[in-house]
Amino acid sequence: MRRTIMTAAGSALAVGSLLAIAGCGAAGQEPEGQSLTVSYIRTDAFTALDTLFQAVKADFETEHPDVTVDLQPVSAADEDYKTRLALSHRSAETAPDVFYQDTTTIRADAEAGYLLPLDDYVAEWEDWSQFSEAAQAAGLGNDGSTYAISLGTDTRALWYSIPVLETAGVTTPWQPETWQDVLDMAEAVQASDPEAVPFMLYAGTGTGEGSNMQGFYQLLYGTELGGDALYDSESGRWVVRSQGFIDALEFVDTVYSEGYSLPADQALDPNVWQSVFGELFPERRLGATIEGSYTPSFWVEGGSFEWPEYADEMGAAAFPTQNGDGPGVSMSGGWTLAIGAKTELPDLAFEFVSMALNFENSLSYVKENSQIAVRADVAADESYLEANPFVGAVTALVEFTNFRPATSEYNQISAAVQNATEAVMTGQATPVEAAAAYDQEVEAIVGPDGIIEK
Amino acid sequence: MTAVARPTEPAARRTTDRARRSPARPSVASPRGAVSRRLATAALVVVGLAFLLPLAWLLLAAFDGEASYQTRLPARLTLDNFTAVLTPQTTFQPLANSLLLSTATAAITVAAALLAAYPLSRYRSRFHRGVMYGVLFGTCLPITAIMVPVYGLFVALGLLDSMPGTILFLAASSLPMAVFMTKGFMDSVPLSLEEAAWIDGASAMRALRSVVVPLMRPGIAVVFVFVFLQAWGNFFAPFVLLLSPSKQPAATSIYTFFGQYGSIAYGQLAAFSLLYSIPVVMLYIVASRLIGGSFALAGSVKG
Amino acid sequence: MPALILLGLFLLGPIVWSIIGSFTDATLTGITATSPDWVGLANYERLLADPDFPLSLWLTIVFTVLSAVVGQNVLGFLIAFAMTRADRRAATLAGGVVIVAWVLPEIVAAFVAYAFFSTDGTLNQLLATVGLEGGNWLYTAPMMAIVLANVWRGTAFSMLVYRAALGEVPPDLIEAAEIDGATGWQRLTLVTIPLLRGTIGTTLMLVTLQTLSVFTLIYVMTAGGPGNASATLPVYAYQEAFRFGSIAFGTAIATVMLVIGAVFSVLYIRILSRAEADR
Repeated sequence: MRRTIMTAAGSALAVGSLLAIAGCGAAGQEPEGQSLTVSYIRTDAFTALDTLFQAVKADFETEHPDVTVDLQPVSAADEDYKTRLALSHRSAETAPDVFYQDTTTIRADAEAGYLLPLDDYVAEWEDWSQFSEAAQAAGLGNDGSTYAISLGTDTRALWYSIPVLETAGVTTPWQPETWQDVLDMAEAVQASDPEAVPFMLYAGTGTGEGSNMQGFYQLLYGTELGGDALYDSESGRWVVRSQGFIDALEFVDTVYSEGYSLPADQALDPNVWQSVFGELFPERRLGATIEGSYTPSFWVEGGSFEWPEYADEMGAAAFPTQNGDGPGVSMSGGWTLAIGAKTELPDLAFEFVSMALNFENSLSYVKENSQIAVRADVAADESYLEANPFVGAVTALVEFTNFRPATSEYNQISAAVQNATEAVMTGQATPVEAAAAYDQEVEAIVGPDGIIEK
Repeated sequence: MTAVARPTEPAARRTTDRARRSPARPSVASPRGAVSRRLATAALVVVGLAFLLPLAWLLLAAFDGEASYQTRLPARLTLDNFTAVLTPQTTFQPLANSLLLSTATAAITVAAALLAAYPLSRYRSRFHRGVMYGVLFGTCLPITAIMVPVYGLFVALGLLDSMPGTILFLAASSLPMAVFMTKGFMDSVPLSLEEAAWIDGASAMRALRSVVVPLMRPGIAVVFVFVFLQAWGNFFAPFVLLLSPSKQPAATSIYTFFGQYGSIAYGQLAAFSLLYSIPVVMLYIVASRLIGGSFALAGSVKG
Repeated sequence: MPALILLGLFLLGPIVWSIIGSFTDATLTGITATSPDWVGLANYERLLADPDFPLSLWLTIVFTVLSAVVGQNVLGFLIAFAMTRADRRAATLAGGVVIVAWVLPEIVAAFVAYAFFSTDGTLNQLLATVGLEGGNWLYTAPMMAIVLANVWRGTAFSMLVYRAALGEVPPDLIEAAEIDGATGWQRLTLVTIPLLRGTIGTTLMLVTLQTLSVFTLIYVMTAGGPGNASATLPVYAYQEAFRFGSIAFGTAIATVMLVIGAVFSVLYIRILSRAEADR
């Protein structure tokens, strides 16, 4: 019996060394013809991109019989995927030719020399004019060149429960014009149903980046400085000591101290969004919240929290600016396709990208993945608009949506913003104190040359 | 040298023999013993239940069609979760990869640890003490911290996306602990037998192979299982070092159950976790039957 | 010496490389990714000035002491001790359950622990049955959650070692003590524990070193949060290196961990060799 283990170990050893020999052979071998590697995320719950690439691979290989498209899906969380992608860019051998790229890392990756500038290609690409201005801007690097092409995006809207608002005497469809309108609604709901949560505002570190995108940035970008409230795009510096930052924190403070939102300890649960979608809205216990354009995908048939009545019970509005200047505020993220700077086949790589993003492929991708179309022709397509009752409303937000400043320091700044909102929501600091702490933190991250007072 | 260098050694061995000869405790028959026996049993039942509780979710959710993080009896018992995950892409291929990775890693580690532990166990010198310190520091190193240079190294050596390369790295990272344990086992193999072999003209290598290794087989099995368990559970190193989806081990499959906006397929996650855990649990059971349970482990950690 | 080659190439090499890297400004992406500059001790100065660092260091020590030195070690010993006198079947079953938690792949164990402590999880369901409201443990008591989870996961190792070692304590010594009128507690503290001093020392050392580097368990359960409330050094290093892309800073933290590990090792080895000399 004991011998079995040893024998097993021995044979495994032999297998291992055999493989070692085989592995060395394979590593040095160049595949015949040309090969295009494509790196992206595929999980059981996220197959839309895999479907897209499988289809494009087939078409592409028919058109170029001498080229093999080598799809390399990665099963991983976003963060882990990004880590590995960044590592793979360090060597020409491992860098993929085409890859799925988060908009938040474009500037940093372009600066690092990982991404191929696409200016010459898009200039000659007739479809490029179909892409919305915001989507085109999302692919820009710090040097103003285009480095990535948007696959689709998302926007953030104010989602509200029609029955809860109606009961509180707020007429629907509801479109608040200022922050005060939102607070008035919350007060009305609180008065009519003390048990309900009038206005859920994500904040703090628990929900991570989501608390900024679905919370604080909606406020900050609606203050006086608008799109430059966080990062001054002209000077390329981070804004500190602005009144807008303090005002936005004041709003967070009001929402939490008046008890309009869930209590801080629940709001800081990383999974709080699950109860927002799964319980609070369906059970008519929540007035409104800021959430992504993908919200209906949770409620549709086959979604995580199926709720067939959502189409009649929910409404979506643009989140207002502080004082009613402009049509509203929205934040956008989303992913793009980019090409590795070290690719040996730039022309073929761009052809692959342009194929993946043509009208038909874009249409089926945004529909399958509940994304906002960035191509005007796709956005106007009937089948796109019919996907769910809110597609039109959330797509309209693209006009004035904002993208985050995707510099290499962004993740650290984002964490600093989360710290500031957390300090306020938990009552650890006043808005002024939290803003001052944020200013200090930003200066520590980017240095005195990286900040600007507004 | 034996007695001087390792004063505790002979005593420990003697006691081992005695303990084996009289497993039952004579004092349990006394009335006070019966009380303490009941107390001890009760305590163990409590501990066992406490340790079992977290596992209950795993077992129940795997068979629940509408699983969440709640522990509850499934509304309807179903094997749907298993049928959903039992695909070549999600389960079979990754499990096979894990098996290959872990077995080869454990085998190489054991072989290397034997060779490294032999001089450490048989000769004492200042240098060896230094090596032991170094080996120990190695055990507290978070592997994630050195992944970036390791990645660079693998690129430079052309070992990226290579199973053998990954195996070698996993073996290296589990070596410190393995050397430490192997040395412990080896210390309990009496030197006198080797001396006899040397007198017969055998080389040190031969003495190791023909005398020491056969005598410490249970110890080797323990180290093997220990390294195997660690390699089986390792996520980050294979994830970074292996690129092709066809080479990914089971640990990385876990992430396929997480959706894009944070939704989680709880039932499938639990079902897959069970499938992923069963091989190591089996391995442990088989190994502990073969080597007489926990008794073998002690050898490695004796003071 | 293939072992030395393996260690040297795949472990020592990267370690030395990362220590060198901690004196540069290397990042994962951005302009310093491809051409890092030598910055001397800047990363270490930043580390010392960073308010997160002392917190993280403290959390690491709390985590290690509570979950390894106290939790795994003491509980492991007590279980092993109880096993020597308890009903055989109870001992086997309890031991088996404890071992299963240890044998589980780390990532599975982490998800199981996460499910157990989450708001809708088993712990709160249990508390609800006795009329208590639990709340969100991973938020309100993240350190307690990860400490308990690590005790749950790691006790088996100590238990197995002590179980074996207890089996080797000569029964005649215990009997002699009993005849001398020693109580159970006295027999344990005056006879058994001194006999096992060596084993206890080594177990403590191994468990401590392994606990220092625990990452997956914490990362899955709390990701170091909320805020930095459970960010021990490995999690802190990972976040800085990968989430914020500051590889050099992350490796500086890892280097500090190595030093801490070294200090612990030397300490234990000193104690051990003194214990050996005492005999």
